[in-house]
Amino acid sequence: MSQEVGHHHGSDPNSPEIRTEALEDLLAEKGLIDRARVDALIERFEHDLGPMIGARLVAKSWLEPEFRKKLLDNADQVLQDEQIQGAEIEHVEIKANEPGIHNVVVCTLCSCYPWALLGLPPSWYKSPEYRSRVVREPRKVLAEMGLSLDPDTEIRVWDSSSETRFLVLPERPSGTEELDLEALAQLVTRDSMIGVAEVKAQ
Amino acid sequence: MSTDHRVHDIGGTEGWGEVPYDPNEPVFHDDWERRVLGLLFQVLPHTAKRPGEFRHALERLASEDYFCADGYYGRWRAGMEVLLHEYGHVDKAELDNRLGVPHGTSAGYRSANVAAVNPKSLPPDRNTPLPERRTVRRELDEPPQFQIGDRVVAAGNDESGHTRLPEYVRGVAGTVVKIHPAEVLPDSTAHNLGDRPQHVLCVAYQAKDLWGEDAEEDVVVNVDLYESYVELKEGVS
Repeated sequence: MSQEVGHHHGSDPNSPEIRTEALEDLLAEKGLIDRARVDALIERFEHDLGPMIGARLVAKSWLEPEFRKKLLDNADQVLQDEQIQGAEIEHVEIKANEPGIHNVVVCTLCSCYPWALLGLPPSWYKSPEYRSRVVREPRKVLAEMGLSLDPDTEIRVWDSSSETRFLVLPERPSGTEELDLEALAQLVTRDSMIGVAEVKAQ
Repeated sequence: MSTDHRVHDIGGTEGWGEVPYDPNEPVFHDDWERRVLGLLFQVLPHTAKRPGEFRHALERLASEDYFCADGYYGRWRAGMEVLLHEYGHVDKAELDNRLGVPHGTSAGYRSANVAAVNPKSLPPDRNTPLPERRTVRRELDEPPQFQIGDRVVAAGNDESGHTRLPEYVRGVAGTVVKIHPAEVLPDSTAHNLGDRPQHVLCVAYQAKDLWGEDAEEDVVVNVDLYESYVELKEGVS
């Protein structure tokens, strides 16, 4: 995606468009950046990375109990076996939801997130509202986001304060017994792997 | 407890509204956000190369820049402006000149300086084999000082350096539930004071211990803590 560097985004010099463009121009003039590499990186993050990588792991673990066990015991080894590499997965732990236990992931200090498994984090995950509240009142926050848990369900919040990154393994919805790996992976949303949604059969 | 709250350390703070949730949010909202992401990956190798250094730059932003109207990518751009100025690549006035606005718009005018951290406040460094690839992980000869099931507490301090100890767990007892692979200590690396690698403990806190009796029922908050942050809680092992 090559960007024409024009100066026609409007006229407010403090708008994010103008300011970012001016910064990029300065960096390019100083030889600190290569615009083609900027383009390539954006392309990779926008199109090659994303929740489909994590979704495939989830779907496979629903179909193969041995794989699920390995994923929960030693996700790093599974990622190595599956040749999944990239940013922000130095050490990964998978937390399985089960009846009576629900897991949800946050980073209260910044916005740590398993990029190589889920792509870039959504804005709400990086918002101060989510970061501050989900450790103090997760049941209420999840309900506001559309996930009302049974009052008896234990909530386990994982605050990503070291370089360990967490992924939630959501429960397989009923009515999906006939589906194959690809079809199951299609059902698994990003938000279910952060722990703010359940996977639905349709 | 700290009186001067760290701008980024907001876990458990009150007064925030509803999460701005959109299940169908696009990866980027505007093209400039794409550019900021792409630029950052080439700016960091010229500036904040050490683990924790970029995070510390963001943490040093003034509140108005940290919680800026341009959101997360605006914060990243502000962090880049600070680092580019501090490393001598783009003076904080240079962007204003380019934009034709009075000096003072860059986050660099408002950010705090890199904190001076006393190395004596950090655990001693230790020799570990340097991994072949670039990673924060290290292999330690020494076993962890704590075991799963230990009750631990992190006292913390009020220094302004980088740390990954969230304020909300300070002084509260939790239980070690897992020990993660050892990592370099960001409190040290962010300040160029060596790797000082540490075992990393996953510590489980009961919500009622963190927030009091009004806390939600059946909630456990798990926080990863570098071993040097914690001590055994006295009287319990």
